[in-house]
Order: sequence, then structure tokens, then C-alpha cells
Amino acid sequence: MSDIERRALIKGAGLSALAFSVGGAEILLSPRQAHAQNIPFRTLTPEQVETLEALGETLVPGAKQAGISNFVDQQLSIPHGEALLEARILNVRPPYANFYRAALSAVDKASQAKNGDKKFAQLSADERYGFVDLMRQNKIEGWQGPAGPFVYLILRSDAVDVVYGTMEGYAALGIPYMPHIAPEKRW
Amino acid sequence: MATLEKVDVVIVGAGASGSLYASVLAKAGKKVVLLEAGPDWQMTDLISSDFWGRRVKPSGVPFLFEGKNPYGYAYQGGWGVGGAALHYFANFPRYLPTDFKVKSEHGKGLDWPINYADIAPYYDKVAAEIGVSGDAKAEEIWRPKGEAYPMPPMKTFRNGQVWLKGLEANGIRMVPAAVGMNSVDFKGRPACIYDGWCHVGCPIGALANPVITYLADARKAGAEVRALSTVTRILTDASGAKVTGVEYYDAKKEKQVQEASVVILAAWAAQNPRLMINSSTDKHPKGLANSSGVLGKYMMAHYASGTWAMFDEDVEPHMGTVGAQYMSYERYDKNSKKAKGAFGSTYIVAGTALKTSDLGGFANARLDLFGPKLAEFMQRAKRGITRLTAFGEEMPNIENRVELADGKDEFGMPLAKIVHSFSDEAIALWNANFDEGIEIAKATGAKEYWSARGPMPTIHLFGGTIMGEGAGTSVTNSYGQTHDIPNLWVAGPGLFPTEGASNPTYTIFAVSQRGAENLVSKWGSVAG
Ligand SMILES: Cc1cc2nc3c(=O)[nH]c(=O)nc-3n(C[C@H](O)[C@H](O)[C@H](O)COP(=O)(O)OP(=O)(O)OC[C@H]3O[C@@H](n4cnc5c(N)ncnc54)[C@H](O)[C@@H]3O)c2cc1C
Ligand code: SF4
Repeated sequence: MSDIERRALIKGAGLSALAFSVGGAEILLSPRQAHAQNIPFRTLTPEQVETLEALGETLVPGAKQAGISNFVDQQLSIPHGEALLEARILNVRPPYANFYRAALSAVDKASQAKNGDKKFAQLSADERYGFVDLMRQNKIEGWQGPAGPFVYLILRSDAVDVVYGTMEGYAALGIPYMPHIAPEKRW
Repeated sequence: MATLEKVDVVIVGAGASGSLYASVLAKAGKKVVLLEAGPDWQMTDLISSDFWGRRVKPSGVPFLFEGKNPYGYAYQGGWGVGGAALHYFANFPRYLPTDFKVKSEHGKGLDWPINYADIAPYYDKVAAEIGVSGDAKAEEIWRPKGEAYPMPPMKTFRNGQVWLKGLEANGIRMVPAAVGMNSVDFKGRPACIYDGWCHVGCPIGALANPVITYLADARKAGAEVRALSTVTRILTDASGAKVTGVEYYDAKKEKQVQEASVVILAAWAAQNPRLMINSSTDKHPKGLANSSGVLGKYMMAHYASGTWAMFDEDVEPHMGTVGAQYMSYERYDKNSKKAKGAFGSTYIVAGTALKTSDLGGFANARLDLFGPKLAEFMQRAKRGITRLTAFGEEMPNIENRVELADGKDEFGMPLAKIVHSFSDEAIALWNANFDEGIEIAKATGAKEYWSARGPMPTIHLFGGTIMGEGAGTSVTNSYGQTHDIPNLWVAGPGLFPTEGASNPTYTIFAVSQRGAENLVSKWGSVAG
């Protein structure tokens, strides 16, 4: 591979931990580690992070601790050709940040309209569950933004990725991972 | 912009068909350049991980998707050397004689200008070249005799075996699946170790991807691959009678012209017509080689009816390959589901390794579940889940098409749209195959079973540059040479006038091998 191609791909091709910026330096971490270390976000606002974490946790228990928001945020800050997001293979048009901003905003707006101005993260666990159940079936009236079932599909995939798709996730389920080339940092 | 020294052949796309062409032509002594839009992936880039596997797929494709069943391009496509076959599942069923003569036999669809017998020797040649495992004798209950495969069948696992009782109860005979994978060491490439990471690329080379087979041979014979090089236009001479080369943007995003005696388009079924339409001139106002008016027309996709079953026993869902363990042509008769208003072939496979995430992962087996119910499902599924798949055929429809659209890509080339809707007969076949899947699952004794229903999927891609008898009704002849411009060739599934129900790539390779040998044999009269 030429230098240009290498740069066009992932820094240090073959490395599988994600590059997070800490105090101006880039370090390689798994999203779970990035979450545990409170790594600053580059693209998502605090409100968006709150909504994404609440949604992630509703979709797949454990997604917040597994670093769904750090994963998505880091992915949105790199060139789209390097992205590992499910959005990539479902024909979402880059930059993928546009989709996530629109999706998270649609969720909060619909939640506020339905629940006396409460954003999604402010709902009780039962309310969140009920909301997502309607969203996945496209049954939320007045919904504005990317289609509810599609938002469900993409965010559920992100949450599944960080909880069940990592080597840690396989170990927790008790399934042998058996990699040919293992992702580094068990990511 | 630089004009580069003229070469014998420029190939657009270093995927499945482009790599094969490069290998045959370079070995015949031609100076070959492959221009590939994506990276020059190495085997060491193929990390065993569902999400790391996504980075070898297209991102931000230059297409818009319309119609009742919009095409799922990015998941189905390729980007970089190897193309989609860098991470395909290597199921290698061949087409059957009936696939080549649908119009003659049924009065609908189209005929190919060739028969099964024209392609059969090339199936054998491809198998000997890159390795196929299976049991040809067993398949011959459904097809004409041919040579044995060079390797015995692959191992089977409980996640495949548990389906056999139900299939037999429904009168469906299964035989070992033909796959482009090594059941034993083959030509210096190792035997498969059944860890199920094929779909993100097999870095040990147990699976016949183009990078370690045809493209490696082509490179050894002197072919040059230029990665991150995106072709935007095919150039013609003033008379419009021949092509002179291509215009492309290199890795530094600088415009270049590569002159060549022959241009071969191998950029997959939708990109090839997009490029040809974008290369219109006053001599070819509707696109290059489009005197028929069918350039970009007759786009087709497969669809699948999946059936999930959950067993009490541990079927080791994670074990095996992502290709199939068993296959069947028992429902290949195009009228086998006529009573349900359906038309088209069905190809059935059983047994596949399942990972947790990504589109094919078992977390998606019950897309309706989330939260604690999903967590509980994952605990059961990790031991008990398995899937049966029936692929279905749609007939060519001129309304399913690629055409240029508003908007431009990063190189200033117009976007294109793919308009695609399944016919009522295809939808009926999809539904009938779900019904049969449930009958089969019921007879296996599985604890639970359900259909993998969702929006009707679009799998593989065909048409757009179909082959045929003449320039009145088709774009190329049976070799892939365009009727209108003798030194412009097209390769890949875009040539297929009908799609059968079998996975396409074994046939893509066979048709490409036949085309490439033909090009070499008549080089003197073709090269411009
Ligand atoms: C997940 C998955 C599983 C599959 N499983 C099977 C299977 O089990 N069996 C089977 O038979 N088939 C399978 N396939 C399908 C198979 O991979 C394709 O049929 C086959 O690769 C198509 O060959 P091709 O040469 O036409 O295109 P590709 O192999 O996709 O190659 C086209 C190449 O052209 C390049 N390109 C595009 N535009 C340009 C441009 N403008 N300039 C330069 N380069 C360009 C692309 O980057 C790409 O590398 C699978 C595909 C996928 C995605
Ligand atoms: S299962 Fe076999 S073919 Fe698939 S990735 Fe593993 S070794 Fe390769």
C-alpha cells in the first residue's frame, strides 16, 4: 500500500482500537475505555450524547457503559471512508453526522410533543421502552426526520455492536470469538 | 491532466470479473492496467470483526435509490481490490440449463444468446484454477454431467444438519454445497478452519477471493493495479467507432487519461452503464454502445426468504463457514410455485455460521426485540439458533433501470439512480418460499421457528448491459464485447439477461473466462 493510501485509510492500518484525542494527543482505546475515562466528545453535543446514551441503553442493556456515545462520536469525526458504522452499509449518505443529528433531534422532538416537553433521556424506563416500541413500528404521530423504523435499525445496530460485537461481548455471552486477525484492545 | 503511455488493456474495477480478465490477458502477454476506485487491500487488512469488516465496503455510493424495492447497494457492493468478492460468502452454485432459455421455455423473460453447454467447460476450468469444494456427482441429479470438483465437500455442523429431517419430510433433497473454499489445502492455500469470518474477508486464503487468486496471478504476469483511481469517462475517437482509453482521477485526485487499445468495464452492474451513459458523444448521444436503447435497462436482484429455527440442543451457531453447508435445486423449476401465483426459480441452502452483530448476525434474527427481551433472546440464541435460506429469481423488466440523476459526485460526475421494483410474481414466490420454510422448520422438531420477514431484500445485482443476439435488443454479444464498439468490452453480472436463483459469481467467473479467452483469440481484429 502506498503512503497516500495508508493515510486515506486508518492511521496505522491493521490497528483496531479507535483513536481518541486526549489533551491534543491521540491514544488508542476501545469505546468502553473511552467512556470510562470520560474522553471528551468531538462531534456530538452534550444533549445529543444524553439522548444517544438513553436510547442505546433502552435498545441494548449495557450499551452506555460499553461506550456507544464515544463510539458514534469518534466515528462521526473521521472521514466517512474509514467509518465502521452500520449506517455505511445501509446507504446513508455521508457525512453520517447529518443522519445522527437528525435522528436524535427527531427522537427528542417527538418525545417532547408526547410527554409534556420531556426529552427522551428524561423519560422513565417504562416510558422510554414504550416510545421505542412505537418508533420502531412507525407509529409516532407527527414524527419529523429520518423514518422511525430506520432510526431504530441503525441505533439498535450501534448498540448491538458495542455490547455484543466486541471480543468482550462474545466472552460475556460465552461464544468463542476465534479470530484470524484479532481486533486490538479486544475491540 | 496527463496523458499516460498507451497500454494494451485498461480494466475498470479490480473486483471479481476485472481480476479474472487481467489474469488471462496478462498471461497472454498483454500490457494490462487495472484502475480501481478503492484501496489496494492486503490480506492483513481483513480483521475478524463485524464492524471492522465494514470498512472494506463502499461508503457514500454515487447512486440514488428509487422504486418499490429500492436497491441495497452498499451492503451488496465492493470497494477496493477484490471488489465485493473480497468479502463474499463464496457459495458457488452454477446456473442450470433452464436459466439460459427462459423466454423459449416459458414465453417470458429473455433468452441468453448461449446455452448451458457453452458455459459448462468454463465452470470446470474455473474450479480447477481457483478451487471449488463440493460433490459434483451428487449435483448431477439436477444438471448435466461435468467434471468432479477438485476438492471434496466441506465439513458440516449441527447448525446445518438439524435442517435435513425437515427438508426430507418436504421432499427436498440436499447435497453438499459447492463453495469457493478449501476443504483441503489447495495450490499453496490452506484448508478452512471453520471459524465463520468469511464475510469480513478470509485473511488466510482458504476462501478464493480475487486478491489471492486471479489478481495475484495477473500481478505476477505483469499487470499493474492503480488503486484509489476512479474512472469517470470512457473516451472515443472522432468517428465514434472505437474507444481510445479512459479518463480517471488518481490517488491525489488529479485527472489522468490512460490510453488503451481495449477498454474493459468491470465496475459492477450499475457502475458500468453509469459510465457508459456519462460518456455520451454526438456519435453516441444516448450513451456508448447504446444503439439498442437498452443500456441501463433490465436491472435485476435476487431476494431471500429466510427461516429461523431455535433448537434446545447446542447447534454451535458460530461454527462453520458463512457459505452454505447443503444446497438444493429441488425447487428450481420456474413453475414449482405456480399454484401460488409465482414464477421463477428457487435455490435453497442450509447451514451457515452466525456471528452476533451486523446485518446477518443473530441479534437481527428478531428485529422486533430490544431491551431486556433482546438480552434474554441472545442468551438462548447463542446455542440454539440456525437459519435456512431460499433465494428467489425475478424476471427482467425494462422499467428496472439505471439512469443519470441530478447531483454530482466528488469528481463532478453525475450521480445515477437505480429504479427497482419486484413484480407480483416475484413477491408471490418470496411469500411462497416463506410458507415452505415454515413447513420445513415444523418438521425438524425445532422448539420455535419464524420467518425472517422485513422489507423485501435485494441481493446481488444483474443487468444494465445485457448480452444478446444483436445490437437491436442488447448491449453486448455473449463474450461481453459491445455490439457497437468492438474494442469496448463489459464484464460481470451486468451481462446476464436473466438471473436464475443461484448465487452469481461462479457464473460471472465462467462467463468472464470465456470472454477473456475470446478476446485473446481475436486480439488482432479487436484492438484499436
Ligand atoms: C456480503 C456479500 C456476500 C456475497 N456472497 C456471494 C456468494 O456467496 N456467492 C456468489 O456467487 N456471490 C456472492 N456475492 C456477490 C459477488 O461478490 C459479486 O457478484 C461479484 O463480486 C461481482 O463481480 P464484479 O466483478 O461485477 O464486481 P465487484 O467484484 O464488486 O468489483 C467491482 C469493482 O469495481 C470498482 N469500481 C466501481 N466503480 C469504479 C470506477 N468508476 N472506477 C474504478 N473502479 C471502480 C469497485 O470499487 C469494485 O472493486 C456476495 C456479495 C456480498 C457483498
Ligand atoms: S471459515 Fe474458513 S473460509 Fe471462512 S474465514 Fe474462516 S478459514 Fe476462511
